[in-house]
Amino acid sequence: MAGGNLKVGIVGEGRMGITHHSIINSRPDVQVTAIADPSTVVNTLIEKYVKVRTYKNAADMLDREPLQAILVCTPPALNFDILSLASRKGIHAFVEKPFMLSSSDGFEIAKLFDEAGLVNQAGYVIRFNCIFVKVKQYLDEGLVGRVVRIRNEMYSSTIIRPQEESGWRASHASGGGVIYEMSSHAIDLMNFLFGRPAKVIGTCTTQLFSKTVEDIVSSAFLYRTGAIGSLYVNWSDASFRKPASKLEIFGEKGKIVADQHGIKVFLTQDDDRHGFTKGWNNVYITDIAPNVPFYVRGLDFTDQLYHFVDKIQSPADRRTRCSFADAAETMAVIEEVFRDSENVKREFLK
Amino acid sequence: MSTLDKIVFGDNQFFGINHMSEEKAQQLTEQFHDLDSIFAVYKLAFDAGIRAVMLNSNNRAIEICERFRSRAAEFPELTWYPSVPYPHKYSNLVGEKGIVGALNEVLFQKSVMSGLGKLAQGGLALVSMDVIKLMKMLVDTEMQMFDGLNIKVVFLQNVVTDLLLGMETQEIFTEFCAHVRKKYGAMPGLITQNMPYLRRKLIEWDIKGVVICSSINKIGYSMSPDRKTYEETLAENDPDVYPMMAMATLASGAVPAGEAYAYVNGLNLQSVVFGASSKSHIVETVRLIAP
Repeated sequence: MAGGNLKVGIVGEGRMGITHHSIINSRPDVQVTAIADPSTVVNTLIEKYVKVRTYKNAADMLDREPLQAILVCTPPALNFDILSLASRKGIHAFVEKPFMLSSSDGFEIAKLFDEAGLVNQAGYVIRFNCIFVKVKQYLDEGLVGRVVRIRNEMYSSTIIRPQEESGWRASHASGGGVIYEMSSHAIDLMNFLFGRPAKVIGTCTTQLFSKTVEDIVSSAFLYRTGAIGSLYVNWSDASFRKPASKLEIFGEKGKIVADQHGIKVFLTQDDDRHGFTKGWNNVYITDIAPNVPFYVRGLDFTDQLYHFVDKIQSPADRRTRCSFADAAETMAVIEEVFRDSENVKREFLK
Repeated sequence: MSTLDKIVFGDNQFFGINHMSEEKAQQLTEQFHDLDSIFAVYKLAFDAGIRAVMLNSNNRAIEICERFRSRAAEFPELTWYPSVPYPHKYSNLVGEKGIVGALNEVLFQKSVMSGLGKLAQGGLALVSMDVIKLMKMLVDTEMQMFDGLNIKVVFLQNVVTDLLLGMETQEIFTEFCAHVRKKYGAMPGLITQNMPYLRRKLIEWDIKGVVICSSINKIGYSMSPDRKTYEETLAENDPDVYPMMAMATLASGAVPAGEAYAYVNGLNLQSVVFGASSKSHIVETVRLIAP
């Protein structure tokens, strides 16, 4: 094991936990020294083959290990207690999305970390996707002028068979349902690019295979700038082998169409600054994808975690690209979506 | 000594995988919906002189292997480079049921393994068992579909390789390699997106005789940390210890074939895996790699 100087603990060694573990451990200045997971099997495997100390719960780990940072990859209902404790102990934290299940809890935790000068970052990984970072740059530079309409769609075949009524996926309280799990990324992307909407209207949710949570959501976001966005997220579409996202931004001077493979830009006039001509222009992922020092499951995951460590190592500027406050803002919009969906059901669908 | 086939025919084109375009990926899925069209392409590759096939153990691979077995006479001298496991299956399962739940599902709920099903209560069976044995069972479960085919290399798929690499699970790599040699009489292979890092670790851990397959292309796409480090690593590599195989040589179509193979042919590489679906592309690629 590398003789890293930043000691990191991981809470929750599930799918995201092991991904982050693998990535962050590749940094020469970092050493994963402990994990906390309720599963005896997982702890046995980790102790024997990864040679890291394990704990049954986060509180014990935080009490006994001299950690500088933790990565929290637990069901979100547990996060408030873990993060309060971490902030009291002066430990920097990265937390998987959706971070908190209430925006008021989120803002409270954000305040604790910010006031203590602790680095805090939530796992809305799309903010580290090179395509969407480039789209943000284009928007900030006014490439298509004033934005008028936005269409944001995400699809996957995650849930294409009847679901059980048990397990974490079956309950909103543990972060289940397409809104928390998948739309939270889409909503965070819209916040990242356009800020928080002034109003959410016309929200409709549909249960297709899930019995207790929704599988499809569509909604309209109204922005103070006059822009109008539509959101459509469906994780029960079997025609998609892999998750796919499609973003279309229509502005006064043209249009940006982005998916995970690249960006198409349509302009009504030449744009010398970007080297684009009137009409369609293509930017491929191979043109803009960065090299990362270590790759597991996606460039974005590495960029995201290295950003977290970089912020810890550079005390001058500790605000991350996806702070707890940013994630709390996203949760506030998610709450609006839920609230509006209930209104729509009450008024029109019953 | 390296005995790899210089050219290996890959499978991405059959499974709607295209890293550049969603539409192209969708179009491929539709084109290869039926097995006949897949085999028409294998036939083109065979006629172009290719005698080696790389195939990931996804759900469609089961029927592909089945047909290769039943039509062995049409494809004599074919050698196989399977990669295991099919990552999406595990990724979804682990996301839904956790690591223990996923292991239980894969190992104990298959009919072929029904004798073991009784042991799998609450994951306790997993604790009492030897974990290396578990890893071998996972590999064997995935390898069942390749039964009876002439296997040269068994690759560990890159998501798994790189996850374990980051966590520095030396013993699991050692045991995987030993298992592949012993059980399949094949060379162990590791697919990775971090070739220089992996090779450095393998040397440190004294694990030798492993085929390393990684993206290698002129523009440095999917090459971590960067192209220069790949070039330096290849230049100093002893191919008898770590035979090197290149994939993604066209960087998903970003590099024209002529340029792509002019670059690749200049490197210390023992094998290239590529996928294509038209006769002209297959024939041209074979000509460019082995002029």
